[in-house]
Amino acid sequence: MSKAWKAVLTHLLLAGGAFLSAMPFLWMLTTALKPESALYQPPLLFPVHFEWENFAKAWQAAPFPRFFLNSAVMTAGIVIAQTLFSAMAGYAFARMRFAGRDLLFFGVLGTMMIPFPVTLIPSFLVVNALGWIDTYNALIIPRAVSAFAIFLFRQFFLSLPRELEEAALMDGAGRLTIFFRIVLPLSTPVIAASAIFSFLFAWNDILWPLIVTNSPDMRTVQVGLAMFQGQYGVFWTLLSAAATIVTLPAVLAFLAAQRQFIAGITNTGLKE
Amino acid sequence: MNGVRLQPTSIVIHRGWRRTLGELPTALLFLLPTIAVLGTFNFYPALYSLYLSLFEWNGLSPHREFVGLANYTRLLASGEFWNSLRVTLLYAGGVTLLALALGLLVAVLLNQPIRGQALYRVLYFLPVITPTVASGVVWKYLFDPTQGVVNRGLAEVGLEGPSWLSDPSWALAAVVVVGVWKRVGFNMVVYLAALQGIPKTYYEAAQLDGADSWQQFRYITLPLLAPTTFFLVVTALIDAFQVFDLVYVMTSGGPLGSTDVLGYYLYRQGFRYSELGFASAVAYVMFALIFVVTVIQFRLTRGGQGDV
Amino acid sequence: MKAHWLKAIATIAVALLSVGTAQKLTFWHYWDGANGQVLQGLIERYQKEHPGVTIEAVFVPGGELLTKLQTAITARQTPTMAISDLVAMPLLTRSGALAPLDDYIRQSNLNLADYFPGPLVYGLYQGKRYSLPVSASNLGLFWNKNLFRAAGLDPNRPPRNWDELLKYAKQIKEKTGKWGIELFTQGGEGTTWQTQVYFWGAGAEFLNANNTAPAFNSAQGVQALQFLVDLVQKEKVAPVAPWGLFGRGEAAMVMDGSWMTQFFPQQVNFELGAAAFPFAPGGRPATNMGGEQIFIFQNADAATAKAAWDFINWFSSTPVQVEWDRGTGFLPVRRSVANDPAYRAWVSNARPLMRPFVDSMAFARPRPPVARYPQISDIFAKYVQEALLGRLSPKDALERAAQEVAPLLR
Repeated sequence: MSKAWKAVLTHLLLAGGAFLSAMPFLWMLTTALKPESALYQPPLLFPVHFEWENFAKAWQAAPFPRFFLNSAVMTAGIVIAQTLFSAMAGYAFARMRFAGRDLLFFGVLGTMMIPFPVTLIPSFLVVNALGWIDTYNALIIPRAVSAFAIFLFRQFFLSLPRELEEAALMDGAGRLTIFFRIVLPLSTPVIAASAIFSFLFAWNDILWPLIVTNSPDMRTVQVGLAMFQGQYGVFWTLLSAAATIVTLPAVLAFLAAQRQFIAGITNTGLKE
Repeated sequence: MNGVRLQPTSIVIHRGWRRTLGELPTALLFLLPTIAVLGTFNFYPALYSLYLSLFEWNGLSPHREFVGLANYTRLLASGEFWNSLRVTLLYAGGVTLLALALGLLVAVLLNQPIRGQALYRVLYFLPVITPTVASGVVWKYLFDPTQGVVNRGLAEVGLEGPSWLSDPSWALAAVVVVGVWKRVGFNMVVYLAALQGIPKTYYEAAQLDGADSWQQFRYITLPLLAPTTFFLVVTALIDAFQVFDLVYVMTSGGPLGSTDVLGYYLYRQGFRYSELGFASAVAYVMFALIFVVTVIQFRLTRGGQGDV
Repeated sequence: MKAHWLKAIATIAVALLSVGTAQKLTFWHYWDGANGQVLQGLIERYQKEHPGVTIEAVFVPGGELLTKLQTAITARQTPTMAISDLVAMPLLTRSGALAPLDDYIRQSNLNLADYFPGPLVYGLYQGKRYSLPVSASNLGLFWNKNLFRAAGLDPNRPPRNWDELLKYAKQIKEKTGKWGIELFTQGGEGTTWQTQVYFWGAGAEFLNANNTAPAFNSAQGVQALQFLVDLVQKEKVAPVAPWGLFGRGEAAMVMDGSWMTQFFPQQVNFELGAAAFPFAPGGRPATNMGGEQIFIFQNADAATAKAAWDFINWFSSTPVQVEWDRGTGFLPVRRSVANDPAYRAWVSNARPLMRPFVDSMAFARPRPPVARYPQISDIFAKYVQEALLGRLSPKDALERAAQEVAPLLR
């Protein structure tokens, strides 16, 4: 097969999958631009209606500026803390040898395997006992570490060649120096991946933020979205407009992160 | 080609570094935030929930009745639970394997210098970002018995499609398709990050040895991705065992329990029926199942370093 | 000088008094969109009329409200008052966290006899009343007049009983190729609460009189389920398919809620009719009922609880309820509202489709107020599905459902 044909085939394959992947998102956009009277028309992939007012209406239907601020603070806190702490823990599990390492690692993995619904009440009681209800502490600290991210980092570090670190160790460098000076700079792709997952986790979460806050001033964007999914029927056009607004930061975050996927080890001068 | 397979060359040096305690003090420093946060907000609540699994409690009543292991015996005697387990295994197996293969395929294709690379990456990741309500609406429409694209397509080739989400024999297959759809982008991102970690020199060396691109993939890429694959399989199983929102939006566990995955079963017991003690017992049985599967995988792959 | 001092003292006393009576109440609810705005408007007016009282209304999404109440009750961090969907009331009344309202009701001379009997069934526990209904909704028949015309039916004459319902449905299927009627076949509470309307309409009961055993497996129950199964299996005028056919013009009739009198007209591109739902020949008119109840938590001190009650009493009064129901489209919980001339005029002019729903409140029935209702509902719905799919006969399906439901009622 010639090179050109191979490229065409690859593009056909990729485009087909990409189309399927994008469909619901496109539906959300076109629904956001529909008048309510066109709701029962078949789903569209390209907009034929342009009810830009839906966005204004959706934006005004809930105190979104405040919700965005809260979500931004919470998400920033969680992303930074999870990335840093999880990378540190992942490194310890991947590279250090100490008594009880595997046991502890299984303990970390195990926390992912307990479904959230059954730990909700006890977790809430802890936060309540700490006096954190209606604070950013309650929104961030209980989720400052992610077992999932630790696992991701550990697996990434396992596949990273050890040569550079060992040379540094031989030169008498400490673990902290090695971690921050050598390992982290080599890890931009996985940091980007982990950060985007932390971002989505924090940005999309509704139940925990709702449970640990009572004041409307502490609510996050997802609560704003829930206002359009009423007990008595869903306001589809407004919901889609609001969902588009609320999802936009996630798309932007991914766009920013995905650049880092190509800035990997291959470009960092580690050749041997 | 096996010579390219890379095992750490430095095991000898490692042994020299440390004695019995190893690097415990340094490791504790690195693990301090993890131990503090997970201990307080995950371990303690999990143990509390284990304790709750010995009670009958609706989460509201001031009275909790101690019932010993009755929640567990009731669970294991429940036909609904075994049905859920069967459905979950089918769902987890289907989604894990298909999404793994497709995610790897897309990642490898997008790891080449290809026109529109960045755009493709965003599009493939969109299912992860798209709100579940929107995904649910569109997929329900695609699977609509008369209007849906799926059945219209089948009609073109002379087949009559089932009424997917309303048909107990087909609903799970439809939900698996959506589960895979949602997971591929996630796997792609993780694989892409891992692919970037493979030094180009390995491929250059292989090319000098005359390896074609399939051989390079088989003997360099796949083995070096093994820790990542292990990660993706374990997290896919954990997620699949707890999947809830997709099922909630698409089928609510129906028809006739044919999509009643454990995550949804647990949601019904815990949130809808307010049976918190029983739900905790369900959670611990789920935990035991996933944990055993994970430990077996861990052992088989030498700590998640080798092939799965 | 003296007068000056007196004035100062008086000012201080008034200030002290108003500090003493200043009440801050928190109120959790899930009324979204326009409903939330109407509530906020009423609260602001109440605050203006009652200086010293501030009410903070906190929106909690409906799907999470019960969970939030659970955590709040467990940690004793409850608000002053809240609402809940009536189905959750049996759990809440048994939590020991709600304050009994009987004394307040007596002292305020609130006339419970003015309330429709259906919603009042909730909120009772061990002889005490813990909640009051503040809104209602019910189910009725919607039909597509365009499809009726296309099938040669009188577009302004809805079916009055099941015989006519079946006859019309067959004619529509035959003449237009569209479905005669859409049933909610997706299981869960959606299936149960629609099916209950058919059961009650055939003279069957869901549970026995004191809610200690299933009663749906009676001869009338089997007859009702047989009717539904025939619509699907024998006459093929209703499909087992995802919900939403009626809105798209794919089915000519549907049972849906009073709130849709607000949504459908904006969303569908055909002419709509609405009527009370038809019942079995020899049966009785019946519909199912939803809505919210309001309650006060035990944790509040006496003065705060009294202030909360004063608000509830005001909110429940006929003029305020008229305003509330007009603003939200909820159905009245009190007869004096349903019969209020201003309210009736509003329905006739602004929401004519809602008239049959308002009238149906007189025979709207509550679902049994038992703590395990959600489980019972799921079991019942599952066996209704079994029958609709033709896997079990209606009799066998109901017998099996009864066997599974019975232990949950002990």
